[in-house]
Amino acid sequence: MSIVEFDHVSIALSKTKRRKGAGRSQRLRRFAGETKRQIIPILNDVSFTLNQGDSLALVGAKPMARTSLLRLAAGTLLPDSGTVTRSEPIVPMIGIARSLGRTYTIRQNIYLIGGLLGMKPAEVQEKLPGIVEFADLSSVLDKHLGTAPPITRQKLAWSIAMSMDARVYAVDQTLVVGEREFRQKCWTRVDELREQGATFIVSSDNSKLYRRFCDRALYFADGTIDADTTVPEALAMARQARFAARDQSRAPKSEESDD
Amino acid sequence: MLVLRDLQRQYTKFRLGYLWSLLEPLGMSLVLWLVFSVLLGERALGLQPYLLFLSVAILPWWWFLKSVNSSTKIFRRTRGELAFTSLPPQIWVLRTVLSSMIEFIFSLPVILLAVIITRDLPGPWIVLFPVAVILQFILLYGVGLLVSSLSIVIPDIARIVKIILRAMFYLSPILYSISNIPEKLHIVAAFNPLVGILGLYRIGWWPEEQVSPWALVISFSVAAAFLIAGIVTFRSLKPRILKEA
Repeated sequence: MSIVEFDHVSIALSKTKRRKGAGRSQRLRRFAGETKRQIIPILNDVSFTLNQGDSLALVGAKPMARTSLLRLAAGTLLPDSGTVTRSEPIVPMIGIARSLGRTYTIRQNIYLIGGLLGMKPAEVQEKLPGIVEFADLSSVLDKHLGTAPPITRQKLAWSIAMSMDARVYAVDQTLVVGEREFRQKCWTRVDELREQGATFIVSSDNSKLYRRFCDRALYFADGTIDADTTVPEALAMARQARFAARDQSRAPKSEESDD
Repeated sequence: MLVLRDLQRQYTKFRLGYLWSLLEPLGMSLVLWLVFSVLLGERALGLQPYLLFLSVAILPWWWFLKSVNSSTKIFRRTRGELAFTSLPPQIWVLRTVLSSMIEFIFSLPVILLAVIITRDLPGPWIVLFPVAVILQFILLYGVGLLVSSLSIVIPDIARIVKIILRAMFYLSPILYSISNIPEKLHIVAAFNPLVGILGLYRIGWWPEEQVSPWALVISFSVAAAFLIAGIVTFRSLKPRILKEA
């Protein structure tokens, strides 16, 4: 059964340049025609079908392309051309931890993020004890989040998102978070979900994680799908591409030295 | 239903400074009252009692100002949230308008205070006050959709809107009454939707200040036009808005 279907999807995003002189001077330069807002193609003619129970790894693409793909899948980004069809709502775990408000208490944050993810207040209320217990925050539930360390924020965000009984997750970097003990808990929960037939799209920089968790991989080259294979093969392809790129960059140098 | 969530979020910010939402418009109307009534004397700008006359219009204006001004920044502020929320992005506009509306409702005691000071009770036309609130809400939602989506494409919109708002303050019958404008210009003024809305706010106290029904109709159709324009622009710019996140 297909969950998400990408049909010749392409998207281009405008690149935000962070050169020296942000804000006004940057804008003035653009006005004077010195710099242009670059629009770079991110994904190009991407078509694939995600089936139920798949754990899909995205290999070889740049982080921005992976995030875009996840957002397209979840419907929080609309493609320039092509269509994305979903048969089930997808929980996008993309940058949730960054959106936790530091001026709110942890309880308020849970309600807020839960609501933004699509839970109704009653649902959140029902799940609140579970979330708090999972994230080990029951003693500070009504304290302001304030300058809590990133690890706490990630744990909280993770617990909220994973408490949703969704069957499809789009995960950006945060499949497992926290310190060692918490990661163990994450793994148990994630594996449990997968055994129940949940579907995952995972983006990560960690190839060990791909090996451990995913059973299918998409290998990207320049924003297009090059191969739809197993994880080890895709990783091997990525490594080869890296070597090739390195050799290429070395080759002209060696010629120069010969001269 | 989920708007409640957003409101709750606003409310937490809010409790820190609830008193400010009372003091700000109160101070503003006191200053303006001092200048235009006490210092400039009986020049008959607006209607008497002037303090009440001012505060009835200043509060809705404040709501208008805040809501439109913050609409220009909505999507820059909610970048992170846009990446994962399953709610339609219109909800952020709605939230801005609603939360500033709640602030407006909380600041209504200022009018009450002015009523007590001036001992001028409203007549039966006061029933149109809530109608004005609803109409202003519709207008603001339209303007908010329009402004918020346009400011994604053209960042300079925020500055332009600020200037327009400043002009609107003087072009709308806030400091003066519609009857201070020459008769001929009434129809032109009616194209400013605030004229009709402010007229409805004030009608409870000054029924003689009747805006002509025609002018009301024009004001409201302009408001409706804003709503439609806002919805259309927003819909067509939605992919851009999401890309920005």
